[in-house]
Amino acid sequence: MIYADYNATTPLDPEVRAAMNEALGATFGNPSSIHSAGQAARRLVDRARAQVAGLIGAAPDEIIFTSGGTEADNLVVLGAAAAPLGDGKGIITSAVEHKAVLDPCAFLQSKGHAVTVLPVDRDGIVDLAALEAAVNTDVALVSLMLANNDTGTIQPVAEAVRAAKTIPVHTDAVQAAGKLPIDVKTLGVSLLSFSSHKIHGPKGAGALFVRYGTRLAPLSHGGRQERTLRPGTENVPAIVGFGKACELACTRLEADARRVAESRDHFEAQILARLAGTRVNGGSHRLPNTSNIAFAGLDGEAITINLDMLGMAVSTGAACNSADKTPSHVLVAMGQSAAEARSSVRFSFGRDTSDEEIDRAIHWVVQAVNLLRGVRL
Amino acid sequence: MSERIVIAMSGGVDSSVAAAMLKQAGHTLIGVTLKLQECHDAHGSKSCCGVDGITRAREVAGDLGFPHYVLDCVKDFEQLVLQPAWQEYASGRTPSPCLSCNEKVKFGLLLDWASRLGIPRVATGHYARLEKDEHGKPMLLRGRDAGKDQSYFLAGLTLDQLNRAIFPVGHLRKPEVRDLAKDGGLPTAETPESQDACLVAPGESYAEMLRKHFDAPARPGEIVDEAGKLVGQHDGFHVYTIGQRKGLPAGGPARRWVKAISPETGQVTVTSDASELVDTEFVAKQVNWLAGDLPALPLACSVQVRYRHASEPATIVTQPDGSLHVTLKTPVKAITPGQAAVFYDGDRTLGRGWIG
Repeated sequence: MIYADYNATTPLDPEVRAAMNEALGATFGNPSSIHSAGQAARRLVDRARAQVAGLIGAAPDEIIFTSGGTEADNLVVLGAAAAPLGDGKGIITSAVEHKAVLDPCAFLQSKGHAVTVLPVDRDGIVDLAALEAAVNTDVALVSLMLANNDTGTIQPVAEAVRAAKTIPVHTDAVQAAGKLPIDVKTLGVSLLSFSSHKIHGPKGAGALFVRYGTRLAPLSHGGRQERTLRPGTENVPAIVGFGKACELACTRLEADARRVAESRDHFEAQILARLAGTRVNGGSHRLPNTSNIAFAGLDGEAITINLDMLGMAVSTGAACNSADKTPSHVLVAMGQSAAEARSSVRFSFGRDTSDEEIDRAIHWVVQAVNLLRGVRL
Repeated sequence: MSERIVIAMSGGVDSSVAAAMLKQAGHTLIGVTLKLQECHDAHGSKSCCGVDGITRAREVAGDLGFPHYVLDCVKDFEQLVLQPAWQEYASGRTPSPCLSCNEKVKFGLLLDWASRLGIPRVATGHYARLEKDEHGKPMLLRGRDAGKDQSYFLAGLTLDQLNRAIFPVGHLRKPEVRDLAKDGGLPTAETPESQDACLVAPGESYAEMLRKHFDAPARPGEIVDEAGKLVGQHDGFHVYTIGQRKGLPAGGPARRWVKAISPETGQVTVTSDASELVDTEFVAKQVNWLAGDLPALPLACSVQVRYRHASEPATIVTQPDGSLHVTLKTPVKAITPGQAAVFYDGDRTLGRGWIG
């Protein structure tokens, strides 16, 4: 199988697995326990916290472990509304955020909070002028993703932080982490969420960076763990794996990004050259691994399933009646029609994607698209 | 010859065995389960929203080694099947939604979906057989297992739909299907019978479930006997069907049946005379002939006026408005408006019309 869905999840790195195996064995203690068994587990969590902080230039104390990106995003949005970070209770976000941000925002809106959803341009870049216009004292939080999961488009987060003035800014870095160098100091954000399984770590672990002095209310109560922001006994093996994955990402990020960008660019250039009616979504400033391609007149789901049958994993939605299929809210926010949006397929590559796989992927995509374009039943 | 085939999988034993047979024959399968209802519509019953079925179908596809996709048909199913079914109940008629589902969803949307993938054929676990006539046209025959035969539900398909359908278990009897499932180690070998039960929540009539789903008002009214004498009151005529005995007020004659439902007045008329329920003629509308063209009329054939019913000899003639006038050789009980009348020549399914 050619796995080209790294934005959905990634395979566990063997070194991560080895680190986790250790934590799954003798070190079973509860990190909150006072005794030596507890201390041993606590040391593993401490080390992981430092590794995770290292990937984004944070201090270990600024890392809150969660169950994943979705929980981290929810903790920010709902936690910000419960304990106003700024002076108000309103939230500003963008139309292309992940549902883990948009849905809690919609929930807050239903409870009476003012939610401003910033528009994006045709490349999916957020309108900073609209952000400046929306900034006022009633806003508690600005949440703007670092890179989009569907298109890979990178947002001007540092500029957004300046435009937001004193309002704390959160960035959902679930897709960006491990693919782009991130430094929370230069980025200037107060909050940043990311996830373990997108960077070759295990599922079930994520992190929220909470800058010193940023006020946030917990969603659950019942323990002192994670500065009381995320109580409950830590998922030690997953956290250990996450830590190792961050350490690996730190050391190999630059080389991996360069290599995967070359592969991705080659893939894109070949698809555009060999197939008429194709277009890349998301502009030029994108994650190095992501390629979201529109195939004019075709159904992205049909391409996805035909590729699956050939043995290649890519991503779109599935629905009974293609006319009723909910198209990607990201592509629709970028001004595309529902039909245009439904004609798109997301290819996302990763550190294990070989040159030979890229060549085979090109061949299969061309084959699947030509098959579908020739379909007359 | 090996071909790519979409297999519709409910998660039951029939479609699982159908899949196993096609796989055994060397075909490349694409398993699909249609999600027809949201879970929260299902009154908390797992089997109703199909989650159980989806899980089992995925397991079977995994065991047999082919991909499986879930298609979200919730909106389509509501528009194409549930809404028209409720309209029938609200008009005092009794719908046959399984026919609509086959015509519009399984061999409608799912065939279209397969077409978009470049796959011509869709298989299901229906108990019906397809054979070619002397001109190579497909003929829909009753399933070999008389007790399971589902040709009635497929009688509204067009020639094109039949040409693209495959029914791998149609020549088998149910115990043989179960044996194949057991021998093949399929996880669905012991699944209970689900046919006709899809969407019914325990303890509630299908009509009442639909009424709640669409948040439609019930139409209460009077229950009267043939002489017009008041027998009792009802909370909504949608729960009644012609020939029904249950749910009528106690007292009076020991046996009473629903004879007529008037949507205009909301009145439900009952009779204590069973002979009042039988009829020898009716009109069938929106007729579909499986062969694609109208047969020579008048036609002597047999007709089945509901699913659980033996077919009866009949003569059909066409009427000026295109509907059919059906005359039965012997009287049949409770010919119910809204049900499908399906015409047969022996085992061969000729077509269906809706009883007017």
